Amino acid sequence: MLHFHLAGINNQNFIMRDEETGTWWQQVSGKAILGPLKGHQLKEVFHDELSFALWKREKGDGRVLKPDEKIAAANEYEAADWELRVGRMRAVEGTDVDKRLAPRTLVIGIAVAGKSVAYPFSALEKQSPIVDTIGAVPIMVVLGDDKRSVRAFERTVDGRRLEFFEKVDKATPAAVQLIDSETGSTWNFEGRAITGPLAGKQLKKISVLEDFWFDWRIYHPDTSIYQIGAR
Amino acid sequence: MTRFFQWLNTRRKLNWLVLLLLVIAVVAIVLTPFFKIMPFKPQTPRVMEISYVMRRWSPLFTIAGSVVILTLSIALWLRGRWWSRIVLLLLLVPALGATWLARQNQFEWMFNPLPNPAYAKSAEAIFVNDTDRVMAVTIGNESVAYPIRIMAYHHVVADIVGGTPITATY
Repeated sequence: MLHFHLAGINNQNFIMRDEETGTWWQQVSGKAILGPLKGHQLKEVFHDELSFALWKREKGDGRVLKPDEKIAAANEYEAADWELRVGRMRAVEGTDVDKRLAPRTLVIGIAVAGKSVAYPFSALEKQSPIVDTIGAVPIMVVLGDDKRSVRAFERTVDGRRLEFFEKVDKATPAAVQLIDSETGSTWNFEGRAITGPLAGKQLKKISVLEDFWFDWRIYHPDTSIYQIGAR
Repeated sequence: MTRFFQWLNTRRKLNWLVLLLLVIAVVAIVLTPFFKIMPFKPQTPRVMEISYVMRRWSPLFTIAGSVVILTLSIALWLRGRWWSRIVLLLLLVPALGATWLARQNQFEWMFNPLPNPAYAKSAEAIFVNDTDRVMAVTIGNESVAYPIRIMAYHHVVADIVGGTPITATY
């Protein structure tokens, strides 16, 4: 078991060092880049990035990391509007700059079956779900009812490819619901069918990385960018 | 002991030269990665590699270098005039400073680690607003939320979730 410490930064993404061997690991990729364990890959744990309210609703009895009291008292944690401030920071421009998007464009990065696609967050705001295919894998990207949480799923159930559309339920207009056109089942934001012929089925979750374009592009140099209407 | 320093003193010019080169080397091995690995500066793989090697060897190199530096300084001090003693002190400061800095993690000065992370039940987590974003992990039956405002400061938090040792990073 390795124990990690903050050890540096590499083009705006931090480096961590394990106590046991002194190896340097790149945070965003989980890959050891220098040292005795160079080349090793930390296993990614599936995680969601979502608003606290949404998490509480879905996982009522979880536990939450507490802040360090001294640091909180000294007001050193990020303010609630940190995303605005960070979004305005400079990005480090290396030699290989890809100008298709502005460096600090927020993208939803998805890597599946060896292919990478960046979905600009603004595209998802205009259209949710975004239904797409990466390589041979049918996927969809869904925006939560907080208009900020994002999840991605594979659109296959028991070998069957499904098409998804937004469903607006007049009774609960805020909650995100999807409907598949093959069976008419209703699905929730957790990717589970709640009514209809497929009720109880769970779509396979896909890891997404909410990142700035410049950072996604550094670690996924062959990435494509999703264009609305391209499908 | 005095014989040793007397012997050293027969080579004063050489002593000064070695002393100067060593002080430069000790300072350089510590300050190079310090200034290269900084936010808002680009790093190439070569820079990262050189910095890694320097950071890795700094603690040992600076100690060994400082021992030699101190030995030479004592020899030069013993027969030195007042102005050469001042120069010796001025050279010792950066050398010893670098030796100390080689053992520090300046990143953890800026972002204190969280050595004993504590958790609250979600109903009692009043320190998180509903609109704050969290990283959420569920393994087995255990669900944990890591508020991003807290993670953005500490960057690295070790935990065990559903029996699996994990490291949350942001």
